[in-house]
Amino acid sequence: MSTDLVKVTINGKDFQVAKGARLIDVCREKGFDIPSFCYYADLALQASCRMCLVRIEKMPKLQTSCTITCTDGMIVTTQSEEIEKAQRGMTEFLLANHPLDCPVCDRGGECELQEMTFDWGGLEERFTERKNYHAERYLSPMVANDPQRCILCKRCTRVCDEWMGEDAIEAGGRGAHTVIGTYLGWLDCSQCGNCIEVCPTGTLLDATYRHQTRPWELAQNITTCNFCSDGCQMSLGSRGGEVLRSVARDRYVNGINGEFLCVKGRFGHPFINHDERIRTPMIRYKKGGKLIPATWDEAIRHVAERLDAVADEHGRNAIGVVGSPRLTNEALHVLHKFATELVGTENYTTTDRFSLKSFFNNLSAPLATPRDIRYAKTILQIGGDPGELQPLTGKAVRQAVRNGGATLVLVNSVPIRLREQAKVFLHVRPGTEDAIVLALTDSADDKLAAQKAGLDAEAIDAARQAIANTTGDVVILVSHEISNEAQAIIAQLPSVFAAEGRRFLFHPLPFYNNSIGAHDMGMMDAATSPLHLLAATGSDIRALYMAGSFLPEQLAEHEDALSRLDFLVVQELFENETTAAADVVLPAASYAEQDGTFTNNSGLVQRVRQSIPPLHQSKPDWMITAQLAKELGMDFGYEMSASAVFRDIAKNVPAYSEMSYPKLKDETNPVQARYAIGFSDSGNTDVLRSRVEALPDNGEKINVTPDVGVELFRLGMLTDKVSQFHLLASGNPRPETTAISPLYQITVEAKRRDAA
Amino acid sequence: MRIEAIGCEPLQLRRVHLENSRALDVYRRNGGYEAIKKVFDGMSPDDVINEVKKSALRGRGGAGFPTGMKWSFVPKDSPKPKYVVCNADESEPGTFKDRYLMERDPHMLIEGMLIAAYALGSKTTYIYTRGEYKYLIDIMDVAIAEARAAGLVGNNILGTDFSCEIYTHTGAGAYICGEETALLSSLEGLRGHPRMKPPFPAVSGLYACPTVVNNVETLTAVPDIIKMGGEAYQKLGTEKSGGTKVWSVSGHVNSPGVYELPMGYDDMEKFIMEDCGGMLDGKKLKAVIPGGSSVYIMRADQIIGKDVRMDYEGLVAAGSSVGSGGFIVMDETVDIFESTKNLTEFYKHESCGWCTPCREGTDWLVKVFKRIDSGGGRPEDAQLMLDLCDNIEGKSFCPLGDAAAWPIQSAIKRFPEDFKKRIS
Amino acid sequence: MSTQIVNIQPLSQPVNLGVEPATFSPEVEAEIDSHIAKYPVLRSAILPLMFIVQRERGYLDPAGVLYLANRLKLRVTDIWEVATFYSMIHVEPIGKYNIQICRTLSCKIRGAGKITEYCSQKLGIQVGETTADGKFTLTEVECLGSCGTAPMMQINFDYHENLTPEKIDQILEKLA
Ligand SMILES: Cc1cc2nc3c(=O)[nH]c(=O)nc-3n(C[C@H](O)[C@H](O)[C@H](O)COP(=O)(O)O)c2cc1C
Ligand code: SF4
Ligand code: FES
Repeated sequence: MSTDLVKVTINGKDFQVAKGARLIDVCREKGFDIPSFCYYADLALQASCRMCLVRIEKMPKLQTSCTITCTDGMIVTTQSEEIEKAQRGMTEFLLANHPLDCPVCDRGGECELQEMTFDWGGLEERFTERKNYHAERYLSPMVANDPQRCILCKRCTRVCDEWMGEDAIEAGGRGAHTVIGTYLGWLDCSQCGNCIEVCPTGTLLDATYRHQTRPWELAQNITTCNFCSDGCQMSLGSRGGEVLRSVARDRYVNGINGEFLCVKGRFGHPFINHDERIRTPMIRYKKGGKLIPATWDEAIRHVAERLDAVADEHGRNAIGVVGSPRLTNEALHVLHKFATELVGTENYTTTDRFSLKSFFNNLSAPLATPRDIRYAKTILQIGGDPGELQPLTGKAVRQAVRNGGATLVLVNSVPIRLREQAKVFLHVRPGTEDAIVLALTDSADDKLAAQKAGLDAEAIDAARQAIANTTGDVVILVSHEISNEAQAIIAQLPSVFAAEGRRFLFHPLPFYNNSIGAHDMGMMDAATSPLHLLAATGSDIRALYMAGSFLPEQLAEHEDALSRLDFLVVQELFENETTAAADVVLPAASYAEQDGTFTNNSGLVQRVRQSIPPLHQSKPDWMITAQLAKELGMDFGYEMSASAVFRDIAKNVPAYSEMSYPKLKDETNPVQARYAIGFSDSGNTDVLRSRVEALPDNGEKINVTPDVGVELFRLGMLTDKVSQFHLLASGNPRPETTAISPLYQITVEAKRRDAA
Repeated sequence: MRIEAIGCEPLQLRRVHLENSRALDVYRRNGGYEAIKKVFDGMSPDDVINEVKKSALRGRGGAGFPTGMKWSFVPKDSPKPKYVVCNADESEPGTFKDRYLMERDPHMLIEGMLIAAYALGSKTTYIYTRGEYKYLIDIMDVAIAEARAAGLVGNNILGTDFSCEIYTHTGAGAYICGEETALLSSLEGLRGHPRMKPPFPAVSGLYACPTVVNNVETLTAVPDIIKMGGEAYQKLGTEKSGGTKVWSVSGHVNSPGVYELPMGYDDMEKFIMEDCGGMLDGKKLKAVIPGGSSVYIMRADQIIGKDVRMDYEGLVAAGSSVGSGGFIVMDETVDIFESTKNLTEFYKHESCGWCTPCREGTDWLVKVFKRIDSGGGRPEDAQLMLDLCDNIEGKSFCPLGDAAAWPIQSAIKRFPEDFKKRIS
Repeated sequence: MSTQIVNIQPLSQPVNLGVEPATFSPEVEAEIDSHIAKYPVLRSAILPLMFIVQRERGYLDPAGVLYLANRLKLRVTDIWEVATFYSMIHVEPIGKYNIQICRTLSCKIRGAGKITEYCSQKLGIQVGETTADGKFTLTEVECLGSCGTAPMMQINFDYHENLTPEKIDQILEKLA
């Protein structure tokens, strides 16, 4: 951006502002209020609401300040009788066909039209004619629609297109008959609900929250989402110990994601208060017997005794300690401490599907925030599908290309939807991403790589040129699809392309909300993995202490593994395949019921805050572990305080030194962990080359672009508890009528979309 | 219906009455495709633009923007393709001249487009015709095929290294698509919403490439300008309004029709009372909308005995404007409340719905008109309507909003009696 | 900083309409190809193609919408947003003959109202309705560029001008 300054005069006061700055932004920044509906930063300009009118000298008519860029000597008036009349006139027009029954509208209390009318509207109502009528309807299980309230600012259609790349919702009809909708009125998309979020009125509404409460009755708590590794900031609205909704509206929260959330972040919360939550500690006294409710004291004592017994009989390494990458940093830290300092086992890990150990060990550039990605000049994505698995990253990439003109270089075996944005798409054979990593490091390997990946060598060169021609930021997205050897090499890639005026940033694409935190807390340090542990049960591994569960696919690979254990203790929210084999099950609190932190894929350490008290008898995982440690004779000294745990983290994890809860409190300015960055030579090109050479060179390519939602709608343990997700997972069928919620019309078996 | 030139030699209407006037050989035998030859015989694109500048030709689509100047805005060094688009959407109520120009003399438009394309360096041109004019599209397609067969369209036109394609494109029933940026949206296959200006189409138009949009009549004037020279063309009219203008006359006259007049034709009264055959059934003149529905309505006493000069400046001085030249004559039987209601319904129907004031304003105004019409008028309604118009005018996204306001504003001001009797 | 939007077509066709896309004869397909060939961008052909689908199928039915979406690599909702903007595109069935009477000023003051009334009586339907046999639909439309030959109507694509009741009788007789 140019840093030339120009002089503009606003309401008689002179200001120096960046040349080309948008007038509406400048006025607001300088404290002059300007009303608007259709203007939305970083979306295509619309200039249709005509609210933001100002008078600019030497221009014949009032001008929309959203479309004006500042030039030198511009003289602007934002307040005058003429402007006020125009703005009152526009508000009056918008209200003409708009129902005036705010008390029955779900948006009442947080409606921009309502507020704008208080601030800029007229006093009397002159419209005495009949209002145009449109019936209310459902556009999907998640989105309710009251077309009468629409002011056609088209924020919804623009976010759908520009943020999500889905273009699922559009304006139909013409003139006063224009309505927002879709062909046949059914919204087939990823159901992110961002259209609901950005809607300034009660036109698009959260169908799952509708008619439940008023916004001012909700306790709004800013926290971090517990689904993917993007770590969106959101506000959980709860009342009476029940979480009723999740929003990112900027009046409540203003984090890295702005008003963006994905379908899980927005609609996945009902698992929190779900009936099937585990209520009390339970002990299975006899293998094959039933789980019997117990008190916490009994359960903890029982676990301590049994672990002691296993250690005595088989040694410390016979006890495995496993955490979930969904846990807070606090829980993972305590777990790590428990494993290393108390048990003293070498067998500790997480249930993650992807280890970033060798990436972090070789990291040679900082991690990129979503904002860095949005303003990057070149983005190199290797494997993965952020559109489905890290939706905020997907959005940032899309906007970087569409709104910022960035070049996306995509290396992928699947023609994912983001390839619409790719300038260079290296469509490789499945499992050959490593070959491209190798070639990018050394062009001598182009031929080898091209042969293995099934590409022309020129295509690889085009990717190389795109990076080599960049001035500005290059962001490298690293997914699970590359091997540990390739991770080490890619983490060192900047040294190959280093140049003046070019900055490199990394953005790993792990699966879980705290995969990175689990790495940082040291849970990935040991030389094992969930599959290793499962393979060794009954022999080297005799007992497992788990906070969280194995994934169904991990258990599927080792079917009888859990039954071979002498002792299994699991902390969980819900009963599942792992708890079914457990000797002790302990009720854990969800992220909404505790304080803590998650570290996202930008290395941002963000707060998790308690929205509601722990349900039933559940407790935060770290507390349970600490209690168990005490029972086993080691007092970690946290005294029931999450912030004490975090102080311990800051003391022990160098990347987190100097952090504390007060310093993390502002979600607007998130704090990034300071990872060690440098050049190491543990990345060995020869090892990678021999790996690549060993790849077959005849695999079939995948030619089908997966449907929207193929990953997002996959039912996991948490989304399985949300009825709406079952509808989505079975293909989001359109019900008979859209006048009634589909939930009342369709019962669908929980079938996976890809299996159906 | 009459088609005739009055007060000047027929220029645009020169061939309309010839037998088989659509045919290429008839066009050629009567001066056709001589201009393009003259252009190829040593005129540079800049020469062409200069002649058009000298001709003082102003756009005939309604806005009256000087055509030569518009052409000179197209960046010469842009690496992007450039487009010439002919605006044959002709949907302004009262306007039907483009229809007859295309129906009777399609090759004149083709030649005009070729010259424009040459001047602007365009290889691809489109004629955007309203969907209802399907038969005209067919006529144009035949004429284009004929011209192509004669080496006048396509590659290496007349053996030169200038190549140019002309395609017809159909609209589908939307007045707003006559507005040039909405037309481009529509041509791109989108909803016909206007776009923000700047950037102007000359810089970023069709497919974000430099584009010139011109009305049919504007383009058909170009061959004559080249043939006779810009100056000679200008002299047919006045200093600032060069050449001749084709008017579409409808309403209560004995001879409605298409009339070509020199710019600056000096008496509107004479035009109505003599040239157009006088008032139908000898009734008294009450009002005239001289430039298509979007201009100010004029009272008879603003015309009778006032020597109203028919050109851009003259009509502004008389309290209206040339617009698209859709000349609607109304006699004493017409209730101006009714006629204004009729037009307001038109604008409501045609508002694209993009911006607040136009979408909601026209909807509201129609509701007020209907209420008054069904006997529910209130004394404050005139003021209400004027105020609503004021909230639309100058505040809408595109000029359609203004166009909806002006007829009402002028009608209430100039025919207060027709409103008063309904609302008090 | 200007916001530049690059128009990129979506790849998949997510809505299950429960119908197969329409199919057309080779001649019609050739006609469709000739329109597509005019434009550097596929989407530009949307209106010409809609007219063809409408001509072949009576109106823009779901099968036709699906055909267009596939053919132009758009979503069905993209077809819908365009189709509902233009008054000549019909997403609901209409009569075989669409009688469109101009109601705008020049025609109105030369007696369009009477013409509408006459047609309405003769056909026994109100404006906006279709005869029971599905033959005629009566509509009022805005200015069709025939103001000098008012009153007028257009039946499908044919102009009928300087109308009188007698003339209407003749015209409708021919179509009956
Ligand atoms: C609402 C509206 C409708 C218009 N309709 C037409 C039209 O039907 N035909 C036309 O040539 N110009 C029309 N125009 C004017 C065009 O926007 C544009 O000025 C014209 O095509 C430029 O060509 P010209 O310079 O040759 O006049 C319309 C403008 C507006 C605002
Ligand atoms: S349309 Fe309006 S408020 Fe909306 S941004 Fe613009 S001019 Fe401003
Ligand atoms: S011009 Fe389209 S709504 Fe105003």
